[in-house]
Amino acid sequence: MGEERKITGNKNVILCIISILILCILLFPLFWTLITSLKTEKEIFSNPPTFYPHELNTQSYAAQVETGDFNMFRSFANSFLISLGSMLIAVVLAVPASYAIAKYRFKGRKIMLLFFLVTQMLPVSVLLTPMFIMFKGMHVYNTWWSAILADATIGIPFSVLILKNYFASIPGELEEAAYIDGCTRLGAFMRILVPVAKPGIVVCAVFSFLYAWGDLAYGMTFILDQQMRPITAGIFNFMGQYGTKWSYLSAFAIVTIIPVALIFIFMQKYIIAGMTNGAVKG
Amino acid sequence: MSGIKRFFRHENAGLLFSLPACIYMLIFVGYPIVSNIVLSLQDVTVANLSRGEKHFIGIQNYMKLFQDDVFLKSLGNTLVFTISCLIFQFLIGFALALFLNRPFRTARPVRGFLMIPWMIPMTVTALIFKLLFATDIGVVNYLLRSVHLISENIDWLTSSKTAMLVVIIANVWIGIPFNTILLSTGLTTIPQELYESAAIDGANARQSFFRITLPLLRSTIESVLVLGFIYTFKVYDLVYVMTSGGPVNSTHLLSTYSYKQSFELFNYSMGSSVANVLLLILLMVGIIYLKITMQGEED
Repeated sequence: MGEERKITGNKNVILCIISILILCILLFPLFWTLITSLKTEKEIFSNPPTFYPHELNTQSYAAQVETGDFNMFRSFANSFLISLGSMLIAVVLAVPASYAIAKYRFKGRKIMLLFFLVTQMLPVSVLLTPMFIMFKGMHVYNTWWSAILADATIGIPFSVLILKNYFASIPGELEEAAYIDGCTRLGAFMRILVPVAKPGIVVCAVFSFLYAWGDLAYGMTFILDQQMRPITAGIFNFMGQYGTKWSYLSAFAIVTIIPVALIFIFMQKYIIAGMTNGAVKG
Repeated sequence: MSGIKRFFRHENAGLLFSLPACIYMLIFVGYPIVSNIVLSLQDVTVANLSRGEKHFIGIQNYMKLFQDDVFLKSLGNTLVFTISCLIFQFLIGFALALFLNRPFRTARPVRGFLMIPWMIPMTVTALIFKLLFATDIGVVNYLLRSVHLISENIDWLTSSKTAMLVVIIANVWIGIPFNTILLSTGLTTIPQELYESAAIDGANARQSFFRITLPLLRSTIESVLVLGFIYTFKVYDLVYVMTSGGPVNSTHLLSTYSYKQSFELFNYSMGSSVANVLLLILLMVGIIYLKITMQGEED
């Protein structure tokens, strides 16, 4: 990796300015959505468009709380519950599985690994119809459970593959020392390995949450009641009904981004770790 | 009983730890994959789903598909969409990675902020691009008009000529961060000394890019492209929310067409067949990914 020799002086200033310009261009769509959500409907349709809200309008956010089928704060809570549930399932199941794949050479290990890799590539389209029929049979159709159970199938393979690398990098001596001290396998796993792998577990939790948060297909297909649908499905329905009510729509979009932005601010390093580790074998 | 205990005593104890996750995935993914194949060989529609009268009709659904113009159109669209996205997100992502790997002050924070588009739910991204490319109030039309590139507003998403372009632009926006982050991580693994000694030997920037950077980045580039293909080929939410496959099927992908067959026309078996074609193509490319990842996984 080598130590970085910092660029200084004028060249540094020029490169900084260029990079910030690029960033502004790439993030312009977000900026535009934010200011649209704060404009009045009339100002949105003004020509030429205004690049900041001349008349600050927070009505688009407030109106959502009070009325309508499309209460975005209820959808928000639904999404939160669904994402949290599927995150829990994914982490609880993936942690022991990835530990086993990293540390044990049991029969069928390679096939198992292959299975997780393949499931990670699957398109929702393949699972949607059979899951729909299955959930109807299981009587979880049109409940939060259907989305929770389905969303966890995205988080589990991702988490197993990431955590496997974390566990593999923990030296075996640590575990052996625990056995000498009289720990059982389960004891050593819970008391020694899980705490050491904690950063990896956080990566998995964050990604499992984000995957579920971003899901539209499952939430929209398996949950019919608008009251119980996640926020992505709420947006989609809202678009269908009030297609050009851009002030409300963009407010909806901004509210959906809030948790993503918070995760970005507080967990940036975990996100980078997840993106790079998950894709390229470490 | 003691035999069972002995089996799980040593390395096979690993099975116990991994069993819960495996069983879960077998129920909720393994079983659906199999049942999707079975479903595609039957004639299940909303009419006979609840009555349970389903018949095996062999590969008739698939035969029908290959005479179905919308399906063929979706197949072509999916390829155009995937390949255009891959090319643009890779080139832009690579350029940004090279630029942001130079050690100037804002390089790191900018690289961080770039990730945001990748994290946003695709439904929201779809909404954002609909807003930007709206005909009357869209800021893209406004900007193009103000630099006199166009005189009349373009119906970006409601014209079958331009809808695909907008969908591709939106997906490239999501894909750039992914490419930038992975490639720039790959770049940091190249020892700086190589460039220094090349410079001493009189190599210019272009030569060291083609002789050092590209060859040493090969495995990263491979992974980025293969993964990019897998992620892009199965994109569903983005297109469904932006256009629902329209106008006049001009943006239907295999994923959206499969959804339409199953959940709008309620031809569950047809939907499954389309999804299986999608899966088959995905797996053909996926094998490369499996090979890369399974390398060095000893038994």
